[in-house]
Amino acid sequence: MEDADVSKKDVITKLIILSSRHMMPGDLLYKIYALRKDVIVKETCFGAEVSGKKEDVNSLIRDIRILDPYGIFIKERGFPIGDLRRCRATSGGGARPGFHQIEAEAATLPLMSRALLEYDMGVKPTTHEKPAKLDVDVFKKIIADCLHSL
Amino acid sequence: MSKILIYPTNSLVLADLVDRFGHEPLTIPQEIRKKVTSVGLDSPPLNITPEDPKIGLKYAAVEVPSGVRGRMALIGPLLEKADAAVVVSDPEATFGCMGCARTNELVNFLIRAKKIPMLELSYPTNDDDARDFVYKIAEFLQSSEVLKHE
Amino acid sequence: MSKNVKIAQLSCGTEYSGIQPEIEAAAKQVNAEMVFADVDYDDIARIEKDFGLEVASPDLKLLMARAKSIVDGKTDVDAVFVATCFRCAEAALARSEVRRYIYEKTSLPVISYSFTERTTSGTLLTRMEALTTMARRKSLLARERQTGLTAGIDSGSTTTKCVIMKDNEVIGTGWVPTTKVLDSADEAFNIALESAGIKQSELDALGTTGYGRFLIGDKFSADLVQEEVTVNSKGAVFLADKQKGDATVIDIGGMDNKAISVHDGIPGMFTLGGICAGASGRFLEITARRLGVEITKLGDLALKGNSKNIEMNSYCIVFGIQSLVNSLSTGAKPEDVAAAACYSVAEQVFEQQLQEVEVKEPVIMVGGSSLIAGLPKALEDLLHVEVHIPKYSQFIGAVGSALLVSGLVDTSKK
Repeated sequence: MEDADVSKKDVITKLIILSSRHMMPGDLLYKIYALRKDVIVKETCFGAEVSGKKEDVNSLIRDIRILDPYGIFIKERGFPIGDLRRCRATSGGGARPGFHQIEAEAATLPLMSRALLEYDMGVKPTTHEKPAKLDVDVFKKIIADCLHSL
Repeated sequence: MSKILIYPTNSLVLADLVDRFGHEPLTIPQEIRKKVTSVGLDSPPLNITPEDPKIGLKYAAVEVPSGVRGRMALIGPLLEKADAAVVVSDPEATFGCMGCARTNELVNFLIRAKKIPMLELSYPTNDDDARDFVYKIAEFLQSSEVLKHE
Repeated sequence: MSKNVKIAQLSCGTEYSGIQPEIEAAAKQVNAEMVFADVDYDDIARIEKDFGLEVASPDLKLLMARAKSIVDGKTDVDAVFVATCFRCAEAALARSEVRRYIYEKTSLPVISYSFTERTTSGTLLTRMEALTTMARRKSLLARERQTGLTAGIDSGSTTTKCVIMKDNEVIGTGWVPTTKVLDSADEAFNIALESAGIKQSELDALGTTGYGRFLIGDKFSADLVQEEVTVNSKGAVFLADKQKGDATVIDIGGMDNKAISVHDGIPGMFTLGGICAGASGRFLEITARRLGVEITKLGDLALKGNSKNIEMNSYCIVFGIQSLVNSLSTGAKPEDVAAAACYSVAEQVFEQQLQEVEVKEPVIMVGGSSLIAGLPKALEDLLHVEVHIPKYSQFIGAVGSALLVSGLVDTSKK
């Protein structure tokens, strides 16, 4: 029992989220299978989940990133794949908070893809100073002008 | 490889960038994984029990809502391990473990109080911001103040 | 076995307080299941504008978006449970407004609750039972007349009450202090049967309610075993003859208080308070004992006094009573002390509970404490409305049980 607990704790799950023009979740799955790692894989609407021993999952992740360095994003997931406690089919329906988190962040990924590409190309960001608050005297004049034109 | 606390602690983008630039992101799913794979705990879905808000008393007094203290029982251990932190001060959206504004205020304060190297950023909304965002994170993670913990 | 009732859970913090299993266990005990409305991120992103309340906590935005999905008919549920952390001001605002929103925009029964890590399934059970009854037994709750010969027994924490009803009239009553649950029920039942001049075997049906309802329900093979929220609200509108339109039922009990918003005799929104003895009938019992008067005389004494003449530093049953005792030792009048005690209980019910329901007239006060005249008077002062005390008010649970169980009588058997 203790051994089972230890091995369960050694298993990690990572989410692979795609923001790629070259790859769809189905393609990703095929590539993962082709790497012949000892992991469990599940296709999701955002990409895939992979679960296995920490070293196997991390080695797979390194190989996967190379396939599309600017279109693949990865984070860890707390629950194992298909865990009934977090599955909407078995626990009252409705997406759980983690799903909304990914929904929200997925919208930013195209920006990140371009920014990462440009970083690797050595493009330096142009710094934009936040505009200072409008000078009170200038503002007063604008108000006076506006009132005058009414 | 340094241990980098990210805020929000469940952010896909931050977890990905920290991992991509060669460090270990400290994220909340790591703590959730420990909970949900613990044999002997049966408090679905997260296996957080009424004991956890009591553990959270280490960070917040009893008059603080139980949901804050329960979340702190998860986030506290991450804070204690952190060598450095990357903080997004105005994240787009944070649900679940980061779904409580009061907890988030406390976590932000405790990161600052720890006086570890910290990079604070705004959430990007356009390509210029995203370029700046990625650049600053990359440079921070490769800076001597972060690398000295390796 | 009736089909599972679907209760929508609109909450923030339940999983992190470790009480999600308690909520689900309470629901399961009453053949209900907790469900979560499905919403998109876009729904959540828009919700502050759509709903009109700005909040800092994203999980409260999720809560509001799920509420809107129910109101818009995108999520099919039978009842709604709104729950947030105790002592979170932001969540209290959202909880209260969402509860009101569901109540006004749908016909679904709704309850709100603020929890701590100490909340157990036992605490939630009566609330879940009431919620599912409202969802499951709407036709039974629509009953307005008692028919046949039926009995109701209300096994309360302080007293056990029984009534016998025949053709829409109360024909016998029994009232005893609760000592041993079964013995007290037996005694109250026998007194009621005797005063009605009938035998138990003549009854068409029997219903039980109150804390001891399951135990006495088993003993007497009751036809209906029902929690106090639905039973008391039915009993109240029946006795007060306010079966149509809105009404608010308030029952300050020995161990807990009920405040129920009723529409056309059917409860829609309610709160059950039970943490503080200072907001219960027990506070008045102790005051009466300190003043050396019968509890039945405390109310009339209070009517002669002025609560403002007494300084009370606390609502607490220990420290508040101490304030009363101290004022007696400095020469305060007993009638002022009695009035202050009534005002203290009423004010705490007003502040802690009546904010959780829609107080609409008529306000009907029931239960034994409604006969302590100073208490309804204090509530009238606080609410600025007339408080109705129906006849047989102290037998409310028993009357509600006898009324509802008559709806289950199989007339073909007779």
